[in-house]
Formats: sequence, structure tokens, C-alpha cells
Amino acid sequence: MIEFNSVNKWYGKLHVLNDINLKIPKGEVLVICGPSGSGKSTLIRCINRLEQIQKGEIIVNNTPVHDKHTNLTKLRAQIGFVFQQFHLYPHMTVLQNVTLAPVNVKKLNKSEAEKIALEKLEQVGLTEKSGSYPAQLSGGQQQRVAIARGLTMSPEIMLFDEPTSALDPEMIGEVLDVMVNLVSEGMTMCVVTHEMGFAKKVADRVLFMDEGKIVETGTPDDFFDNPKTDRAAEFISKILTH
Amino acid sequence: MMGFYFSRLVEIFPFFLKGLLMTSKIAFISLVSCTLIGFLLGIFRSSNNIILKRIVGIYVAFVRGTPFVVQVFIIFFILPEWGLQLDAFPAALLAMAIMGSAFICEIVAGGINSIPTGQWEAATSSGLTLIQQLRLVIVPQAMKVILPPLVGQYVLLIKDTSVVSVIGVMELTRVGWVTVVRIPEGLMVFSLVGALYFSISYPLILLSNYLERKMAV
Repeated sequence: MIEFNSVNKWYGKLHVLNDINLKIPKGEVLVICGPSGSGKSTLIRCINRLEQIQKGEIIVNNTPVHDKHTNLTKLRAQIGFVFQQFHLYPHMTVLQNVTLAPVNVKKLNKSEAEKIALEKLEQVGLTEKSGSYPAQLSGGQQQRVAIARGLTMSPEIMLFDEPTSALDPEMIGEVLDVMVNLVSEGMTMCVVTHEMGFAKKVADRVLFMDEGKIVETGTPDDFFDNPKTDRAAEFISKILTH
Repeated sequence: MMGFYFSRLVEIFPFFLKGLLMTSKIAFISLVSCTLIGFLLGIFRSSNNIILKRIVGIYVAFVRGTPFVVQVFIIFFILPEWGLQLDAFPAALLAMAIMGSAFICEIVAGGINSIPTGQWEAATSSGLTLIQQLRLVIVPQAMKVILPPLVGQYVLLIKDTSVVSVIGVMELTRVGWVTVVRIPEGLMVFSLVGALYFSISYPLILLSNYLERKMAV
């Protein structure tokens, strides 16, 4: 479903993605971890072309993402993206946030869009907040709205860029629960996170990155209990003791 | 003597009202065109397109770096030598549009640049086109930053319309000049001119103050 073929990216001289080859089949839940600056966020931001690449290609559902002729609107409609800092639209209510793309990208009429939006808000447990503004919500609630906003487009893929890193500890659980619930629906997911509990529970595969390279991949149990590389072992011991 | 001039002034007051009407006309048309062009240029100036950005940057620097009266002279006296002959009224409107749009461009670009990148990225990721991103997500938020200085700029632009009197447009200041030749009471005549300008700019000053207070929340 998602395929990286020899993908390379530089920021000036910094080689942020170094020859990435990766295949993510439909329905897989992939957790990506690694130290900061390792390129993990950049990796998933390339999938919906928030970032350009200089070499190689990324193919999503048979569409070359970085091709000049690719219909980006159509591509992005299939991919939900959840940010570390939520990035809800502060001037709109929760319901307006969630219906914006279905109305303007998918051209659904307002009542259809609201019907789907309310279903998704129910799925994340926030139906009663549909009339609130983002500033009136807690971080955890904002992130759940952001997930609902991605889901109303009925995407085939959901990308999560450190979805719980900006949250107070007591709110991490509510967001992870929503994500676990998505896994059970068979959603294809790429999640940049250090939440080991989440990875162990639902990930099909863990991918460890360092300095722009994929250092190792494995099942969560293998990766966390028997890392093959020293670099990964060191990283795991750090996140365990922190 | 003073009383005599005052009664003359009252007599020709309709002449002043005509001047005020002309000033209002120039002000209204140029504020609308400045706003439209200024927003477009401001969007270009805050875009990622380096060429567009540069071109607009040069335009703005040139307009901001030269006196308005010189710009008016260039349009009215120099363009005809290159084959573009304009009457005083359209020349005045063109000069106002060029000058005002450059200032409004800077205000708009500043407002757009104040919106965090995350808002663009969220809108981009959901598949909105660039124009939809601007219309639905970015500009509505930027308006909070744009509106107070924009209305303040309107006040300045209304006052700048007085400059086009130099090419003979019969607006308020020109009416003052013409009157003072017949009624040699400069203080009286130009106090009246000033009071009439004030009557249209003061409501906008109040609006600007109000918006500043409201948007600060």
C-alpha cells in the first residue's frame, strides 16, 4: 500500500533520509521510533508530500507521490495525518473543524458531512463537544478531535506524528485508546511514537531509525526484548529508564 | 471684515460639499481597489514563490521609498510621454491604487506570516487546495492581525487623497486653494477643509481603536 524505493532527502548538507526502502502492506500497523533528529517525522511527512524528496520514489496505492502530475488533493484525501501539536483550526468549532475537508474537498453537502462527522466524534468520545472551540478543550480532547478530523475523509491510511508527545501524562491514555480502536478496524497506520505499551499491544512491526537510516525492523517483542543492534539497545534502555 | 468673509464662506459652502463629495469618491474607490490589490500582493509576498515574492518586494520598496506627490507627477506628467495620457481623475485613482496597495500588501503579508506553519500543514494534509487553505483557514485567522492596522491605513489613505489636488482634481484641498484666492482668510478656509476631512476620518479612527481592543482579546 505504501512503498519507499531508495528514498533520499537532504536539508542542505544534512542527509535526513538515507536510502530508505520500505514496504507497508494494507492493514499493517507500523510503529517508528528513534532518537530526535533521526528522520522519523520526516519519513512519514513524505508520505503525503508535506516534504519533498530529492531521490527515489514513494508510491501510495499505485500513485507516485512526488510525481509532478500526481493529483495531490486526491492523494491526500486518502491519507489522514495527526500532528504532535494537533493543529486544530482555532477559529472554528469542533464540528466545523471536522467537516471542513469533507465539504470542501469531497464536496459532500453540509448535512451529509455533519452526519459522518458526528459518527467520528462519537468514535473518539466527543459528541458533546461538537459546538466547542479548540481552546475550550484539553490537549487530549483536541488530539481526539484531530483524529476525528482525519477520519471523516474515510482515509485508507492514517499517519501519526508523535501524537501523544505534547500531552500531559494523564491524557495520553485516552488518545492511545482511540488509536487502538482504529487498529481493530483494520486501518493501515504509521505511528511515530515512543509509547512502548502501544507498540507492544498493537504494532505489527517496529522500525528503528537513526541518522536518517532504518537501523532495524522487527516485531515489537523482538525489537524491545532482543534488539539486534547496539544502537537500538541503547535507545530502548534510555526510554525505559526515563 | 471677518464677519463678511464668514458669510461669504457660508454662501459658497456647497462648493466645499462638492469637494468633500469628490474626496469621498476618490477615497472610496481607491480604498476598495487598494484593498483588493493589496490582499492579492500580500498573498504573493507571503508565498513560497521566490520570484513573485521578489517582484512584489521591489514594487513595495519603490512605492514606499518615494514621495506620493512624486508618484502622482510621474503618472500624470511622465506617462503621457510614453503614450499613456490620463485625465486628472483616473490618474488620481491610479496613483492612489498603486500607493495604497503597497502599504496594504505589507499589512496583509504580516498577518499571513503570523499564522503558524502547522495551520498550513493541517489544511494541506486534508487535501484543501492552496486557495481553499487561504480562504478557509489562513486569512480568517490572519484578519485578527490585519484588521486594526488596515483601518488605520484607511485613515492615512483618505488624508493622502489631498495630494492629488496638485494635478487639479477638484477635491476638498483643491477647493480650499481655489477659495483662499477669493477669500483671503487662510485660517478660516483651511480650518473648514480640515474639519471636513476630520468628519470622514474620525469615525474610522474610532473603528480602528475599537477593533484593536476587540482583537487584542
